[in-house]
Amino acid sequence: MAPNSINPLADPVAKPVALEESAFLFSEEAVAELEEIATHYPERKAACLPALWIAQREYGGSLTPAALKEVAERLGISYTEVEGVATFYTMYNLRPRGRHHLEICTCLTCSVSGAYDVVHALEHAMGIHLGETTPDGEFTLSEAECLNYCGAATVVQVGDKYFTNITPQNCISLLDQLRESPSYTPAMLADSLVKLHTPGAGFKGGGSYTPEDLG
Amino acid sequence: MAIRNLIFEFRDVPGISNLDVWEKHGGYDGLKKAVAMERQTIVDEVKAAGLRGRGGAGFPTWIKWNGLPKNYDAPHYILCNADEGEPGTFKDRETLLKVPHALVEGMAIASLATYSRVGFIYIRGEYAEPAWQVRKAIDQAYAKGYLGKNILGSGHDFDLYIHMGAGSYECGEESALMSSLMGERGNPRLKFPHAPLPTVAGIWQAPTLINNVESYCAARWIIAHGSAEYAALGTERSKGTKIMSVSGHVAKPGNYEVEMGTPLMELLQAAGGVTNGRLKAVIPGGSSVQIMTAEQCEKINLDYESCSANGTLLGSGGMMAFNDLTDIVLLMRRTSEFYMHESCGKCTPCREGTRWLYKILDRICSGGGRQGDVELLLDVCSQIDGRSYCGLGDAACWPIAGAIKAFRHEFDYWIEHKRSPVGAQCVPPAFETINPALSLTAS
Repeated sequence: MAPNSINPLADPVAKPVALEESAFLFSEEAVAELEEIATHYPERKAACLPALWIAQREYGGSLTPAALKEVAERLGISYTEVEGVATFYTMYNLRPRGRHHLEICTCLTCSVSGAYDVVHALEHAMGIHLGETTPDGEFTLSEAECLNYCGAATVVQVGDKYFTNITPQNCISLLDQLRESPSYTPAMLADSLVKLHTPGAGFKGGGSYTPEDLG
Repeated sequence: MAIRNLIFEFRDVPGISNLDVWEKHGGYDGLKKAVAMERQTIVDEVKAAGLRGRGGAGFPTWIKWNGLPKNYDAPHYILCNADEGEPGTFKDRETLLKVPHALVEGMAIASLATYSRVGFIYIRGEYAEPAWQVRKAIDQAYAKGYLGKNILGSGHDFDLYIHMGAGSYECGEESALMSSLMGERGNPRLKFPHAPLPTVAGIWQAPTLINNVESYCAARWIIAHGSAEYAALGTERSKGTKIMSVSGHVAKPGNYEVEMGTPLMELLQAAGGVTNGRLKAVIPGGSSVQIMTAEQCEKINLDYESCSANGTLLGSGGMMAFNDLTDIVLLMRRTSEFYMHESCGKCTPCREGTRWLYKILDRICSGGGRQGDVELLLDVCSQIDGRSYCGLGDAACWPIAGAIKAFRHEFDYWIEHKRSPVGAQCVPPAFETINPALSLTAS
């Protein structure tokens, strides 16, 4: 049997519970970021992907039903629509992840370059299966589809960083390095992706279209 | 014909991702020329250069550029497809990392040529590192007046934004990319002739131009250096250069920019040749195209026509070479797993068909292959091909059908002997039976 991680249906998402009791958790800065990003598009709905990144950061690295609800309310779209988007993309975490989320590319080039050996070595070192989190909450191990750095196979993505030329031998020292590092966490990845959307210091604005332009 | 660096000309210059170094090497000369040109002249230059889309389909770029409305009356947009997801391809990653200003300049030129005031670069979510290089380049370009209000005194305004994806191969398909940009699931939409082209009704029903990263960079080179110099390279119908990402069992994997029409074997030699054995097979253009045997590779030149004539495609240029210890059936099992995972689920032939393909191949590779399984695979392939909303369905069945055509005996061997013809081990085993020596390649 192949591991469950290849079958999205085997990985059910938590159903929303008691949404009416949830409070909004976006900080003032996060709200300002969202409002800024929303001005880039003629309709607020288009900010759904960046808004989910903000939520993933504000809610500590994963999207709970409350986080999805907050995004829906702030964008003025339905909960169902937001849940549909959040469940479509693999990088939105619908369940909590470890402090470091290791995604091992096992696609074509990596698989013929020994990616499965790396998977097995990491499974042994961590004592978990693919798709699981270590009991101390330190690491989550997943299989990834092509990460597109095939020239440096095997590739492992942790947070916003690619670690390249990983072998069954050096992957153990990668774990040691990560254990001591405060970086490369899911929340930091989300933060990095949110900041990519906001305009930088040199931004003066040019010819952005307004909703009225669209008629 | 061989390596010819145009887009990657200054790839190895230290600090080339910074504006001052980029300007010293002729950066933004193309934009300065474009500002002085008529809109139609820019489009005609791209036409004369014979540039074809570098994302995979090879559609003539100038037709898209020419298709947008020729006035400022209504909003229209330009998009850059940097959602590189095709297994085996990593050219855009290096372009964004090393020469981000080439893309920013190329998009600014395209905005002049199409009178678009807003552009988006759609980058896949995993590419945070390259995206920050682009972001830095955009900030620098704003500060110098290459973006924003009244670009270089031309009276033309242009805003450029980054939009990050969140992990979906399907979003590299242009109509799915537009859905994703508008904040929806990355599902494709009906296409021409059943629906208008993006240049007529794209994002928010406004005319939209979508090009690949490499296409914009090549267009920038064409405007900066003239179409004649570009058109002098390549073959009669495939002009210029193509960045090929070479990976797999080669000594020096990496990105190689070659003149169109370069023999495949010559590129393989440039990449250091095959390691740990003899060449068995090559996938020339990313996982979606047909696999070629070593004998067939001798005849292939890297241009659109030569690849088509030999029954494969140049695609996005993700060239993977495999040595004779590679099990083709296991490779196809992994390929079908990829497409099963990435199928968006919108249309039935692809959603169900990709699962069928994976299940049959997994059965064969688990020692449960039955007589007639190969015919069943071909039957499923024929029922997906051309019947899905977008190209993902086609891309899922072409490599399988191609592998059966070229390596039929390996499929038959698996079914008859229940083991690999080259001694490779099967799928990743369950945790309890881990043997660190297992992998797709026999050791």
